[in-house]
Amino acid sequence: MKPMLSTDLNVAATTVEKVKIEVKNLNFYYGQSKALKDINLSLPERSVTAFIGPSGCGKSTLLRVMNRIYELYPKQSAEGQVLLDGKNILDRSQDLNLLRTKIGMVFQKPTPFPMSIYENIAFGVRLYEKLSKAEMDSRVEQALKRAALWNEVKDKLNASGLSLSGGQQQRLCIARTVAVKPEVILLDEPASALDPLSTAKIEELIDELQADYTIVIVTHNMQQAARVSRQTAFMYLGELVEFDRTEKIFTSPREKRTQDYITGRFG
Amino acid sequence: MAHTVASFDEDLRQISQLIRDMGDLAGSMVGASTKALLNSDNAMAQRVVSDDAIMDARQRELDDRAITLIAKRQPMADDLRSVVGAIRMAGDLERIGDLAKNIAKRVGSVGVSAAPRDLSHSIDAMAQLVLIQVQGVIEEYTAGDAAALAKLRNDDERIDVKYTSVFRELLTYMMEDPRNITACTHLLFCAKNLERIGDHVTNIAENAYYVLTGTQLPANRPKQDETAMSAPAA
Repeated sequence: MKPMLSTDLNVAATTVEKVKIEVKNLNFYYGQSKALKDINLSLPERSVTAFIGPSGCGKSTLLRVMNRIYELYPKQSAEGQVLLDGKNILDRSQDLNLLRTKIGMVFQKPTPFPMSIYENIAFGVRLYEKLSKAEMDSRVEQALKRAALWNEVKDKLNASGLSLSGGQQQRLCIARTVAVKPEVILLDEPASALDPLSTAKIEELIDELQADYTIVIVTHNMQQAARVSRQTAFMYLGELVEFDRTEKIFTSPREKRTQDYITGRFG
Repeated sequence: MAHTVASFDEDLRQISQLIRDMGDLAGSMVGASTKALLNSDNAMAQRVVSDDAIMDARQRELDDRAITLIAKRQPMADDLRSVVGAIRMAGDLERIGDLAKNIAKRVGSVGVSAAPRDLSHSIDAMAQLVLIQVQGVIEEYTAGDAAALAKLRNDDERIDVKYTSVFRELLTYMMEDPRNITACTHLLFCAKNLERIGDHVTNIAENAYYVLTGTQLPANRPKQDETAMSAPAA
C-alpha cells in the first residue's frame, strides 16, 4: 500500500493558501506498536480539515500529536516533523504551554471545569495573561459570543459549568478554547455525544470559526465531515490513504479503500 | 464489495432493476410506435399509448425509492452517483416514452395510403438507428462499460444526419404535391420525435458515464446544424 504523495494531494490546498500545519514523515508508536506510518500532509490556514476512518485508524492519534498531548502518557512517542508555521513543534525546545495556547483542543465528551461558567473561561486566560476585571469580563463575553453561547448564559455566569446541557457544555469548552486566542483548534469528535440540534449549532460554529482559525476535526460521522470541512483525509491502519478536497472525497474518491469506507462497504 | 448493511444493496438493486425495466419498455415503445406508423397499425399504436402509463408509473416508483434511499442511507461516492444518476436517467426514459406515444398518436392521422413508400424506408432506417441507441445505452450501463457509453453518445450524430435527410425528403414531397402536406407534416413530427429520443439517449449516456467514472464527458460533442437548408447533403 503506497500512500499518495503529499505533493500531489495538496495541490488544491497549497496553490491558493498558506500552509498552517505541515506534517512530514510522521511515525507514532504506542510502546512497540506503530500507530502512524509515515504520514505526510499539509493543512491550509483558516480552513476546516476533517480526518475520517474506522476506529483505530490513527486519526485521533494524529490529532493528539499536533498539540503533543500524547506526552501526558508514558511509552508514547512520535518521530518525524510537525511544522506549525514552519517551526517543528515536536522539537524538544518547544515550550509546551505556549504550544497549547496556540493549538487548542476540544474533546468528545464535554469537559467543563467544576467551577462557574465565567471561571471556566477566565481560568485558562489567567494562566497566560494579566487582565483587569473589565478586560477579563469583555474577554469572557467575547468568547461566549464566539461560541454562540452568550445569549443562553449571560444571566447566569456564576452558575456552575456542570449545570449546562451537554450541547451547552461543549460550546462552553469551545469558548474556553477560543478565549486564549489560539491559532489552531483541534476537535476530537466534538458532536458525537450531542443531540441533532446541538450538533447543528456546533457545526454552525465551526463554519464561523474557520474565518479566523485553522480547524482540524476528527469525526465518525461522514455526513458531518462532508458538511463542515473543506478538505478531508481518509486514514486506515495508521496510513494516510487519501487526502483531497472534501467534495472530491465524497463524490468520486480516487482510492478504492476510501470509496469502500465512505459507502459503508468495509468488510 | 457488498455493503455491511445488506438491505442497502437490495435498495440499490431495486433501483437499477427499475432503470433496466424502463429501458426495456422504452425500447419496445420506440420499436412498436414506428412499426405501427409504417404499417398503419392502429391496435399496435394503442398499445404504445397505454404502455406510456406504465412508464410513468415506473418513474414515480423509482423517484420514491431513490428519495427514500437518500433519506435513509445518505449514500456517498459511487452509491450517491448511481442514485442521483438513476433519477435523471429515469427522467430521460420517461420523456422517450412520451415521444414514442406521440408518434403512436399520429398513426391514425398519417393514414394508410398517404405515406410514400420511399419515405417509409427513410423513417424506418432512422428508427432502427434510434432503437439501437435506446437499447444499447441501458445495456452498456448495466455492463458498466464507460468507453462504450462515450462512443454511443457520439453515435447520436448519425441520427442527426439521418434526420436532416428525412427533413429534406419530406419537404420535397410536400412541394411536389400539396396533398401530401398533412401526412408529411405528421411524419416530420415523428422524425423530429425520433431525433429528440436520440438526444435523450445522449443524456442518459452522459449520466451513465458520470455514474460509472465520477468524471463528466466533455461538454461538446461533434454536431452539425440539422435542418439548415443551405447546408450540403450529409
